[in-house]
Amino acid sequence: MSGETTPIVGGATQSWITLAAMIIVGALALVSLYMGFQAYGNEEIEIAFMYMIIGTSGFIAIGYAFFRPKPTSMDPLKPKKFDVITTLECPQCNLKRVRAFQRGDYIYKNDEPCTRCEGKMIITSIHTRKEEKKK
Amino acid sequence: MSLLQPDNEIGMILQTLFSFAFIVYLFYAQRIQAMTMLRQIETTLRKIKVLRDEGKTTAIETINEIGKPERDPTPMVERFMEHFMIEPMSMDPAGVVGKLGSILNVREFTFEKEVEVMAPNAEPSERNNIENLLEASLALNIFYKVIRHYYLLGKKTMNIYIIMQIHMILPLILQQIEAYSSALTAFKDGMPIGDGVGAIVAAKLLNGAETREVAKEMVAGEIEYEGRRVIITKARGPGGSVGKPGDAVTNLLNENKGNVTMLITVDAAGKLEGEQVGDIAEGVGAAIGGPGVEKYKIEQAATEHNIPMYAVAIKQGIEHVVAPLVEPLFEATDKAVSSVKGLILDYSKEGDTVVVAGIGNTVGVAQ
Ligand SMILES: [Zn+2]
Repeated sequence: MSGETTPIVGGATQSWITLAAMIIVGALALVSLYMGFQAYGNEEIEIAFMYMIIGTSGFIAIGYAFFRPKPTSMDPLKPKKFDVITTLECPQCNLKRVRAFQRGDYIYKNDEPCTRCEGKMIITSIHTRKEEKKK
Repeated sequence: MSLLQPDNEIGMILQTLFSFAFIVYLFYAQRIQAMTMLRQIETTLRKIKVLRDEGKTTAIETINEIGKPERDPTPMVERFMEHFMIEPMSMDPAGVVGKLGSILNVREFTFEKEVEVMAPNAEPSERNNIENLLEASLALNIFYKVIRHYYLLGKKTMNIYIIMQIHMILPLILQQIEAYSSALTAFKDGMPIGDGVGAIVAAKLLNGAETREVAKEMVAGEIEYEGRRVIITKARGPGGSVGKPGDAVTNLLNENKGNVTMLITVDAAGKLEGEQVGDIAEGVGAAIGGPGVEKYKIEQAATEHNIPMYAVAIKQGIEHVVAPLVEPLFEATDKAVSSVKGLILDYSKEGDTVVVAGIGNTVGVAQ
């Protein structure tokens, strides 16, 4: 199972090809636009119009390739880290204490001595810390 | 006019290229689309592989840490991750729930045994957690293999419909996979999870009352509330387990034959986009998820004894269900407790007996 049988094509080469294609298309679109303006200057409106369409569609294509959501650059789906806190309360003196979660903690566990009196503290809640506001 | 001549040559080339691009797009648009989708699937697949491997290593690490096995658990974990279950034939649906139930029992038994062999030195509650951890890794492995299957099949056939099928549900699958990867953290250390809200509500209602075992991995306790006798049942914590709430409720109803006024189930429920995490909703019926066997048993028992079923749902997103419990959900359990108490006051009289079942995985929650 660990011996992967299916090589997955690398993404790096593909992005090079895309970049080269984008540069070529961009150059052609520029030339086309230039010629369109020239034709416009020569008052050949129809020809100018055609060149301009070619030129702008070239730029639109580049823009699309550039701004479309790229799956390759998405955030790497790493296992999330959680900030979990445990709240302990002493039923005798009402002392409340909050600390980081430790393995073995569970809600209603009561074997931790109270730091203020003789009693045992009870874990009353375990939850993740409030999430920070999302950007 | 002579200036125009070279311009026209470039113009010709440009025009040809443009027309050519147009024609190419006309015939190959679908293929280009298929390739784009394949690439997106491929990226996702790579991420899922990372998570799947993470699941495996987490499981092995935890077993080594807690179980202190004498030999390397890796081959056993690898074997476990390929475990499968064949669902019973449902062409003739009579009795299919029982068949599914017995298959699930065997599955459970097998998992318990496997974990016992893998981690002989772990305590029972830790064993439950390891079992859950392994199940999460198993789920991640299956996700990975199914998506890989469609990816490779799509690549081989270049059939856009095969590629589309998997591409369409990719965002939903990603959500589930992210959820399972958070489950690894929770089960590794035995933290309460979002699905445990029902168990927490039950534990809060019990409030330290004495409990006894009523069914496999199920405990029940009794409290007095405003003159009513309230019997509360939940899975036995703090190890990760959902228990057999169906059996527990059936046994409790049979014990108090005819004397139960109402049955309340409390469970986590999937929220719709736009609903708040930790919203409480009240309704009727049996609030319980899973393969359906336990739900069937509860409904069967309630119908047999003619007991009305009430339900309290605590809303949460798919990303919360198996992830470490978030604060709004913990706060919601207090609201759910008062909701349950309100239901008891509204629909029962003094001297009545009420059964409350806290459904869900009780990992990290005692009673
Ligand atoms: Zn104290």
